[in-house]
Amino acid sequence: MADNAAPNQLFDLWRKQFEEGAAAWSRMTAPAPPAMSDPTAFWRPVLNQGLEQWARLFAQTPVSPDLAAQWKQFLDQWIDAWSRALGQAMNTEAYAKMMGEHLNQWLVSNAPMKKAMDQQIDSTLQSLNMASRTQLTSVAKQIVELEERLERMEDGIHAILKRLDTKEPT
Amino acid sequence: MGQERFADVVERFTQGYGGGAAPSPEVLRQWQEELDRQHKRMTNLHRMMTDPVEPRTGQTPRQEIYKKNKSRLYRYASTRTHRTPLLFVPNLGISRPYIFDLLPNGSFVEHMTREGFDFYMLDWGVFGPEDNDLTFEDCVVKILPRMAQKVLDSSGASELSVLGYCMGAPLSASFLGAYPEVPVKNFINMAGPIDFSKIGLFGLWLDERYFDVHRFVDTLGAVPADLVKAGFKLLKPTMDMSTNLNLWWNLWNDKYVEGFSALNRWANEYVAFPGEFFRQWVGDFYQQNKLYKGELVFGGRPVKLSNIRAPLFVVGAKEDYIAPPECVRALMDAVSSEDKQYIELPGGHISLIAGRGAALHCWPKVSEWLAPRS
Repeated sequence: MADNAAPNQLFDLWRKQFEEGAAAWSRMTAPAPPAMSDPTAFWRPVLNQGLEQWARLFAQTPVSPDLAAQWKQFLDQWIDAWSRALGQAMNTEAYAKMMGEHLNQWLVSNAPMKKAMDQQIDSTLQSLNMASRTQLTSVAKQIVELEERLERMEDGIHAILKRLDTKEPT
Repeated sequence: MGQERFADVVERFTQGYGGGAAPSPEVLRQWQEELDRQHKRMTNLHRMMTDPVEPRTGQTPRQEIYKKNKSRLYRYASTRTHRTPLLFVPNLGISRPYIFDLLPNGSFVEHMTREGFDFYMLDWGVFGPEDNDLTFEDCVVKILPRMAQKVLDSSGASELSVLGYCMGAPLSASFLGAYPEVPVKNFINMAGPIDFSKIGLFGLWLDERYFDVHRFVDTLGAVPADLVKAGFKLLKPTMDMSTNLNLWWNLWNDKYVEGFSALNRWANEYVAFPGEFFRQWVGDFYQQNKLYKGELVFGGRPVKLSNIRAPLFVVGAKEDYIAPPECVRALMDAVSSEDKQYIELPGGHISLIAGRGAALHCWPKVSEWLAPRS
């Protein structure tokens, strides 16, 4: 339809950008071709459907507020398509491996930094004659242990009382 | 007709075709409604930004029965028409349990108490660095037996029913599998993973080939709330986008906004994991699948799912990507119960426990199954 040529051109351009973006993204996240299926398969029908809806809406005279509902529906489908595409990409060994490696690198670089920072904080607090986090944690741990001991004693007393109760009738 | 200018398209979009038919009264009415909604959207948005109302969650009256370290046992007020009390065991860490009593007329706890169940909820609490040594085994061996006993003492009943939701289900199943002598009358698993070989995305990400849980815990000590949040957000990266879009769409609806505020508060309030708990949870469950294989030994007791003989009700959610239905359903074949039933409901992990769908489809099924057995 000639009337819709301009928006269609815009959407074609938009679609092309998505296509290229998704393809680049899929290449980046899944270097092993068999592990990754084509994510564009998800969004292509969605975009086509969106285009058709928009073409219909632009042809309407006069435009009704239904336009907003159609736009919402289109966005829902778009998000859903991306969610599925991302879900599929993240559900690969390659992605899990990449994430694990990143996390390990982060932990390796983080560990000495965290240790140095903890030591620095502890020594600063000590110089200010204040209790360090480690000391407070150990006091809290002792309270937890004490509570556990009291409960064991309470259980013991209950057990003795129960035995006494059952003995009484005889 | 040749190529038209974009300006013409905009003109036609805003004005309609020149000389065309005037808009019908129906279209005008629709526009009026849409404009009213738009006005309400803006009003509610302004209120949310400038004067946010703190949602009043957890309104069902309750009484604290027992506390142990950070954990609390609550008993909720009800007519108590059923003799057997119900112990509800939610997940430890990750999120706060007020999701189960979110808002009046939209609360699982309220539904169960209205149906006459003597409802007890275990709140594991928010753990600090002093709890980093707490293990999954401690919860099963030290906390759950005591909580079950307190439920029996407080209710005066000789048996209790146990309902585990999410991680609460493997915790309860481990407890029942290790302590077959505990008088459990019924057991319900709602969206609780059992066979971790079918756990989905988290299972792949936490696979021991890629995720070194020991290095993780040794370095961080605990799993901070922000990391828990990052993990769950990564599981569904488009979730926030879709939530915000739906909020905008329904922003004119005061009821929706109230529910959204409560749920959003909960959904962004993550809770840290104690370090050793996480080590055992990931190592023994996600990586080794020891519960399902029957290889766990807690407190010197073998944990055997086949020790569970109580009537069993398992609820899975079709679109659950945290505990996929097949991994939840696995409990059905692992237990020795003769009276057992599995249902699979539409929706995701949270939609079993909160929201309109839960109130319509899930909660009545749970209470209808449990009532004649209580």
